[in-house]
Amino acid sequence: MEFWLAWARGPAFLFAFSFMLLGLTRLVALTAWETARAMRRAGNKTLPYRQVLTATLKWLLPFGKLKDRLLLSLTSLTFHIAILIVPVFLAGHIALWARGLGISWPAIPNPLADVLTIVAIIMAVALVIQRAAARPTRALSRFQDYAIPLVVAVPFVSGFLAMHPLASPFSYEATLFVHVMSANLVFVLIPITKLSHMVLIPGVQLVSEVAWHWPPDAGSKVAVALGKENEPI
Amino acid sequence: MGKKGKYSFYVEDKALEVTERPRRFLEAFAAVLEHSNYGLPLEVYTRLSTKCSRCAASCQLYQTTGEDRDIPCHRSELLLKIFRRYFTKSGLLKARVFGGFTLTDEYLDELGEAVYRCTACRRCKSTCPMGIDHGLVTHLARWLLSEIDVVPKALLVATRVQLEGVGNTSAIPVPALKDTCEFLEEEFQDIYNRDDIKFPMDVEGAEYVFFPAVSDYLLEPDTLMGNAAVMHVTGGSWTIGTGNYDGINYGLFYSDRMMERIVKNVVAEVRRLGGKKILVGECGHATRSAWFASTFCGPDAPEVVNCLQYAWDQLRAGNIPLKEERIEERVTYHDPCNIARAGRITEEPREILNAICTDFVEMTPNRTENYCCGGGGGTVSIDEIRAFRTGLMGKRKAEQIRATGAKYLVSPCANCKKQLKEVCEDNGLDEVEVVGLHDLLLKVIDFDIGRSATDSKDAQAHAAKTEEGEGT
Ligand code: SF4
Ligand code: SF4
Repeated sequence: MEFWLAWARGPAFLFAFSFMLLGLTRLVALTAWETARAMRRAGNKTLPYRQVLTATLKWLLPFGKLKDRLLLSLTSLTFHIAILIVPVFLAGHIALWARGLGISWPAIPNPLADVLTIVAIIMAVALVIQRAAARPTRALSRFQDYAIPLVVAVPFVSGFLAMHPLASPFSYEATLFVHVMSANLVFVLIPITKLSHMVLIPGVQLVSEVAWHWPPDAGSKVAVALGKENEPI
Repeated sequence: MGKKGKYSFYVEDKALEVTERPRRFLEAFAAVLEHSNYGLPLEVYTRLSTKCSRCAASCQLYQTTGEDRDIPCHRSELLLKIFRRYFTKSGLLKARVFGGFTLTDEYLDELGEAVYRCTACRRCKSTCPMGIDHGLVTHLARWLLSEIDVVPKALLVATRVQLEGVGNTSAIPVPALKDTCEFLEEEFQDIYNRDDIKFPMDVEGAEYVFFPAVSDYLLEPDTLMGNAAVMHVTGGSWTIGTGNYDGINYGLFYSDRMMERIVKNVVAEVRRLGGKKILVGECGHATRSAWFASTFCGPDAPEVVNCLQYAWDQLRAGNIPLKEERIEERVTYHDPCNIARAGRITEEPREILNAICTDFVEMTPNRTENYCCGGGGGTVSIDEIRAFRTGLMGKRKAEQIRATGAKYLVSPCANCKKQLKEVCEDNGLDEVEVVGLHDLLLKVIDFDIGRSATDSKDAQAHAAKTEEGEGT
């Protein structure tokens, strides 16, 4: 077990974490590049920056949007807050960073981390239940829409058990192994699933606006490409 | 005669006879992705779409039908799925390994029906946490479908007569246009006792070249008289070009290819006359299409001014003399999606109405969050789907109107007006009168203290004022 745990925390983690970083960097770079290219090709180069910025901020800090779909919004918002704070500010995680890279930052107290972890787990389950319970979400959902919140919850469940070995029915090593490996899985999934919204959301309002900025002769070129330039309507 | 066949709207025969539609659809898709900028949003949307269904509650259609297929995200997914499968690496790979989804005729039919159950009003965009613009997806899907001839006959025929026939969507020849304008000039004589209010034709070097929805010449004499009256009392330099007098652009509703040609024709007419600006009449989609002038014709394309912006600037500058009496009946205002959704024209009409009415009430929600009239995206021109438009798509609007208790329902848009009249008829709102904003303005303009357009000093003074006003 010890070997496997070392493997999970060593090479596997290194791979997963770099995969995530590189994947996200690639996504951001590609999107930025494509956005710039679209604007270079566009006939109209003016953009309503203020409006784009307002819309972007409204969704990055979605407190004003809570009132529609109140329950779902609250669930989702608390879920996001909890899963962002705990992994980054857990004292145990920071200690690992300090050991590995010599960097550190302030931690949250462990009891608070416990509470937030439980909140994250409950909210993940609540998200899935709400998704299954409401007709429109049920109609839209794909397998990954149910699976992702649950997959994200696994490192929290195992992390909680690892923090409280006495409450855990499993061995400490096994729990920690599951914890690290499930986190590694999440890292890998981030750039290749809808979890990538964590880096794309700040740009999407801009993308939606740029999307209406077309090259001046896109239509005529499409006509030529399809051999329709002289075709009567 | 068109055939309904598989769709709720008529299409031309060729749409039903063709073969190999999936292949041709994908060819068109590839060409569009190469030459236009749609690849970017599709790529981002396909990654982001989280299927939370927040958008459902914001769509007037879903609110009424509750059908799964009317959830905005469901409709957009139809196109995103094709994009993902055929135009992303992971999709191609997945298809090679697992097989799975293949584009079929039936699927294209479902898409064809779906995108005309959306008015591309873009109301749902502001409720999507992922910023997905379903109006854009509908817009693109309709273009792609039109390349395999799946397009409502009503839109196609109007565009054909505009680009290859008489030159405008209502097939009004120049002599008939002149007759109509002369008739309207006589009306000014008969009703207001003014013989100097004109519809100037082909005046070279005019500041504004006028492009209303051409159907106004057939259906909305009061709106046009209101336009002419405002130009007259403000001494505005304007003209109607007999080379092109139609602001309607159904290209916006089904094909960027057509849209480009129509906008270029508008700009060409302004240039032919040596005019400076495009003055768009009371029409939402004509205005939004004209705003694309710089997209298709570059940065020196003529500036676009909507007649509401012109009227408000002039009213604020004190150039539109008003009678003592105001309109006392209750008035409400419907925001046309095409000018209001992005917040571009929402305040001017309200300022004008507040100045000329004593009992102006808002519908809720309004402005950028307003509900579509139910006939947006060109669907208003598709007569065979009237029951759908007024019953399902327009039901929410009917409730909004009813709640205001208004006598006059003002909407400065030819499409909205036609739809709203039918919504009122079909939803028992017989007391409501649907009018344009210039119709009401016409009622309260005081011509007796109005200045004469032929007085050149005045005209110059006004022109100077207008220019000052633009910076504000
Ligand atoms: S609100 Fe956006 S992400 Fe949610 S279901 Fe609608 S389109 Fe999809
Ligand atoms: S009709 Fe409007 S609100 Fe409904 S899906 Fe289409 S764009 Fe969205």
